[in-house]
Amino acid sequence: MSPDDLTNALVNAIIAGGRQWVVSTIAALLPSMWVMTIILHLARPAVFRTIRKLSLRFGADIWWLGYVLVRDGVILITFALSVIFLFPNLALTIDLPLTAPIAGLLLFASLYVKLLYDSDDDLRTYRVATLLLAVGAGFYLIPQIFAIESADVEWLSPVASFLTSTSNTAWEAPIVIIAMIGYGLIGGLIFQQVVVRGSRFGEKVEAVDTATAA
Amino acid sequence: MTPDQLTQAIVNAIVDGGEGFLEGTVAAALPLLWLLIVALHLARPYMLRTTRKFSLRLGADIWWVLYVGLRDVTIVLTAVMSVMFLYPDVVIGNSLPIGGSLATVALFGALLVKLVSDADNDPRAFKLVSNLIGVGSALYLVPTVLGVQLTAVDWGPFWSGVAKTLATDTDQGVALALCLFSIAAIAIMGLAAVYYNLRAPAKTDALRVRQGSVGA
Repeated sequence: MSPDDLTNALVNAIIAGGRQWVVSTIAALLPSMWVMTIILHLARPAVFRTIRKLSLRFGADIWWLGYVLVRDGVILITFALSVIFLFPNLALTIDLPLTAPIAGLLLFASLYVKLLYDSDDDLRTYRVATLLLAVGAGFYLIPQIFAIESADVEWLSPVASFLTSTSNTAWEAPIVIIAMIGYGLIGGLIFQQVVVRGSRFGEKVEAVDTATAA
Repeated sequence: MTPDQLTQAIVNAIVDGGEGFLEGTVAAALPLLWLLIVALHLARPYMLRTTRKFSLRLGADIWWVLYVGLRDVTIVLTAVMSVMFLYPDVVIGNSLPIGGSLATVALFGALLVKLVSDADNDPRAFKLVSNLIGVGSALYLVPTVLGVQLTAVDWGPFWSGVAKTLATDTDQGVALALCLFSIAAIAIMGLAAVYYNLRAPAKTDALRVRQGSVGA
């Protein structure tokens, strides 16, 4: 092997290894993000209970603001990281959960519900958002645990082989395509409702008068 | 060795090494987080006592909000980081505390109790949460100290046997069984939490603090 061959081998290894490591790390991080998303979303009753114990509206507002900010921020980050599952090259070369694109799609659908309806006050909307998140988490966590992280467990190998993107390419391609169409549809719906129709533009709430607030 | 083989070997080293480093770092951070959880949970009487010393309700509210937030966020973060104990490959491939997966169950149990009952006001719920956190920390810390951290020490065959029993990679059958049991238990608790939320979550406009309503 000449010095040039060695240089090329090292350069290729750094690029390919670095890319694979970043994607694998995101895939490994996402279960934690999904769990965090679910925990924060379901923590709502407990957060309310704490609000009732605060003696001032100021403290209650800070508590609620902090909760909503962290909860929705985590959902948004999880959604952004899930976009890697729409890249067919990655799904076909790196072991990823087979149904991860569907999980990302359901997360996007939940964000759509949260964005265009008041899931904090309307019970029906809240239920829809919760179910979308719960089913999405199932679609991500089940293949992650029983396929990607069970490759060395012999009696689980048929399940692992079925639920891994690289070993079930026959299913992976249609799943990615369905997810892409779904992303496009939901994105289009949001654009249509917010920008084209403007029906969901919303109205800025005026701050409460200090005299009445006190 | 051809250049392609060398490339592949280095790629594998980067990926496997990176994964091992991440898992090792999480496993090393978890004992500290468990201690933090126990400390913050048991600090409640001190926090309450301090709350009474404030001359302004604003200070008391901020103090209490910070305490509750820090305490519960630590529990949530530890639960999220403990998810790796639900991965069969990680559990049987690394030297981890054998009680780690059960400790994760205890932690999720504590979160579920906090969700469905008022653990800050109801003494029974508080006791249950305390017991779950206590048992969970013991299930994590004892095998860490006497198993994972005792493998290189030569204290005789008894301690060597104890260390092997309490580490996942040297007791793979039990580790895998506990891992699968934990997955099932956490899945059931997760479904219970979803069901509880779907029943009747509170509405923000119905919320009342002692003066006024939230967001009003």
